[in-house]
Amino acid sequence: MIRQTIGGRLAHDIRNRGLTAWLLFGLLSGFYVVLYFGVDYGHPQTGVERAQAWLYGTFTVHLDAFGAQWLSFGSAESGLSYAGNRWTLYALLYTLAMLVGGAWMFHRYRHNPYQMVRTFSVLFLQVSFAFSVPILLKFFGHPEYYFSYLWPLKIEYLDPAHFEYFGEILVLYAFFASLVLTPLLGLLWGKRWYCSWVCGCGGLANTAGEPWRHLSQKGSTAWRFEKFAVHGVLLIAVASTALWFASALLPEGSAVGGWAEGTRRWYGLVVVAGLSGAVGTGLYPIGGTRIWCRYFCPMAAILGLVQKAGRFRIRVKRNMCISCGLCSKYCEMGIDVRAYAQANRDFVRASCVGCGLCAEVCPRGVLRLENVRRRDPQELTLDSLADGSWR
Amino acid sequence: MHLLIIGNGVAGVTAAMTARKRDVSLEITLVSDESDYFFSRTALMYAFLDRLSRRDLEPYERKVWDRQGIRRVRGRVVDLDAEGRTVTLDGGATLAWDRLILATGAGPRMLPLEGLDEIREGVVHFVTLADLDRCEALTPSTQRAVVVGGGLIGIELAECLHHHGVAVTLVLRDDRYWPTALPAEESAMVVARMREHGIEVIAGDTAFAVAADEAGRVREVRTHGGRVLPCEMLGVCIGVEPRIEALRTVRTAPALGRGVLVDDHLRTSLPDVYACGDCAEVESAEGERFIETIWYSARAQGEVAGENAAGGTRAYRRPIFYNSAMLIDIPYTTVGRSADLPPETPTLLRRAPGRPLSQRLLEGPGGELIGFIGLGSDWDHELLERWIREQRPVAWVRDHLHRARYDVEFRNVRLDRMDEVRVPLHGGEVST
Ligand SMILES: Cc1cc2nc3c(=O)[nH]c(=O)nc-3n(C[C@H](O)[C@H](O)[C@H](O)COP(=O)(O)OP(=O)(O)OC[C@H]3O[C@@H](n4cnc5c(N)ncnc54)[C@H](O)[C@@H]3O)c2cc1C
Ligand code: SF4
Repeated sequence: MIRQTIGGRLAHDIRNRGLTAWLLFGLLSGFYVVLYFGVDYGHPQTGVERAQAWLYGTFTVHLDAFGAQWLSFGSAESGLSYAGNRWTLYALLYTLAMLVGGAWMFHRYRHNPYQMVRTFSVLFLQVSFAFSVPILLKFFGHPEYYFSYLWPLKIEYLDPAHFEYFGEILVLYAFFASLVLTPLLGLLWGKRWYCSWVCGCGGLANTAGEPWRHLSQKGSTAWRFEKFAVHGVLLIAVASTALWFASALLPEGSAVGGWAEGTRRWYGLVVVAGLSGAVGTGLYPIGGTRIWCRYFCPMAAILGLVQKAGRFRIRVKRNMCISCGLCSKYCEMGIDVRAYAQANRDFVRASCVGCGLCAEVCPRGVLRLENVRRRDPQELTLDSLADGSWR
Repeated sequence: MHLLIIGNGVAGVTAAMTARKRDVSLEITLVSDESDYFFSRTALMYAFLDRLSRRDLEPYERKVWDRQGIRRVRGRVVDLDAEGRTVTLDGGATLAWDRLILATGAGPRMLPLEGLDEIREGVVHFVTLADLDRCEALTPSTQRAVVVGGGLIGIELAECLHHHGVAVTLVLRDDRYWPTALPAEESAMVVARMREHGIEVIAGDTAFAVAADEAGRVREVRTHGGRVLPCEMLGVCIGVEPRIEALRTVRTAPALGRGVLVDDHLRTSLPDVYACGDCAEVESAEGERFIETIWYSARAQGEVAGENAAGGTRAYRRPIFYNSAMLIDIPYTTVGRSADLPPETPTLLRRAPGRPLSQRLLEGPGGELIGFIGLGSDWDHELLERWIREQRPVAWVRDHLHRARYDVEFRNVRLDRMDEVRVPLHGGEVST
């Protein structure tokens, strides 16, 4: 390996689990701890409290204060106001990171229209439905709602305890988008319509996370763990939702209510804060992007099952692969694409988010993302039947 | 029964895997003097570019070899005894075999250069893992490099060096780039792209002498054309030759030509000894003799040799030729016959004005498609192959070309907006 400049060495180091990568990992994880678990300790008394306050309490206060100061619009007197907090700040930072990474994507893949369109789509949806619209909704006194996030990724959207807060229209939207739209589009276009075109988790991975995509765990062991983990979380998500419905239907005061409360807390802590936030994003520089999407996201699990039954395929040009391995290396989901390509097998993998990078990096144009099952590109028309050109 | 395979390149490995599929009880051993595990030689440049690690070059998970029951031995074969059915390794160990496959590949050709004896460092090839190590070690101390060779490996090496900030001059013996594959117009597009990219290209010249500094490091290269090119590194990429030198001195050598001579079942002149891949010189049933030094042929031949060594009776049929490459950033696809045809062969050349994007349809005596050369976009070579086999008229292919497109979604290559000329394959005026 040759890296002649300091910049080149640093870039290599941070992208390949060097010291700087570990530092960044520490920073990101610390940020998430403060974000999710930070509390205001006021005036800490004991040593432990002081330590805790120093560790994250003060940071959180600062984050909240900063958010409140800079990201609050309007005034309470006019009746229209929006109170900023650390979550607004987080959303802003998140969106900015995506925009910066997105600009780099536009530059880097300017020759590849699929990448351009896809990147534009995630950026647009992030800026609008995942950032501006929720703030505007709150500003005008409506519930803060993210139209681009669906159950079971946003598990509370189908939690009856929140139905009253969201109101009929939003609840109907949640039911429709999660239970009708998601599987339908998944059948037509594969998982990618959501994971690579809409979702903000995937959006961050495919913009700001791009430099680390090659760090995903490859190999059959990781694949086995992935199948076990992602379907496990899906099971938990479905069971929790069922429990919440049960507790809403059963008379108040039954034991189920207590369980429902418990699962709400634990699901929020472990799955949402822990896995999707701290682990999912904090681990970028060490474990690669899309750790959350690959191993834990229940939405991805559903879409993966749908994808297996749908029209999406990665088509492999016969006998053209030179087994170079670039496709496998740059697959953020750890799919050994080369194994299929060198065996001349078209394939669909449940985890494939259809980012299209394998096709982009392939130096022999072997791979093609497609929505058709039929391999023969010659369409059958009445004309072609008449003149025999379909043969 | 023991199948011994010399060479763990794609030919040898494919032979091993195919033999295993046919016969689960076969004992199989792969010998290599280059690497413990099969790696992708075609991907050397991506390792040099730092886009892949050494381990990434291995096409199979390492568990596969044990699971497939394929033993790997590291060592150079120095002797072959066909009567006693053994080979001897450089360490002195002997290995017995019942069936033997020679898959020793090809090694770099060397340019006769004056002053080469004085050089201790700085002259490189780009074919083996050791070459890659050497190139990587030299690059930090190299400001300028000269690469001699107008084929695929030359452009790959030039691109890698350029990527690492080395000023590269590519010297082409012929008046254009890759004349055995590309007609003049296409060549010019590739050269233009190389120049835009920052690689200097000199055509119609060759290096004849090289000079060293006090330390024995390359200092400059002189050409027949009178150029003196100062440089710290000289890459020689003028093609490969079958690696058979070891076989010339063994106790019982198979019949050798430029490569190991084999019939269409890939049998050598020795009983139960086969050869495949870059080292094999095939004599087909029609009496045609050829050496194919490309990955795809090595694979296809490996399948035949493996199958036959395990008791099969398959013949190797040379498929309709196809190949593809990435020339800097211009994708290239060719199917069927191409630059080897007579110069007056009629062709339909379609070009996008001002962009490196073209298709050329080569026409046979009856107006049928016999070859295709595409630059700048991706093509489905299987469909084009079929059209060639079916002898579709060029006019028909022209109108249906969009069906063979293999572009990424949303890319709309405007095939209907290309400039078309009918020209002979090489040179000459435009005909009707
Ligand atoms: C830089 C580069 C880029 C290329 N790019 C392309 C491309 O894009 N497309 C394409 O089609 N082709 C390409 N090729 C050609 C392709 O790599 C070869 O055709 C293919 O690897 C041949 O495979 P093989 O198994 O016959 O030989 P090899 O891969 O050469 O394997 C032979 C093995 O046998 C070993 N061996 C030889 N002699 C002995 C001995 N006496 N004892 C023990 N071991 C021995 C060698 O060390 C070697 O490991 C490229 C080649 C190079 C060098
Ligand atoms: S990137 Fe392309 S050529 Fe390389 S292994 Fe993958 S499919 Fe094969």
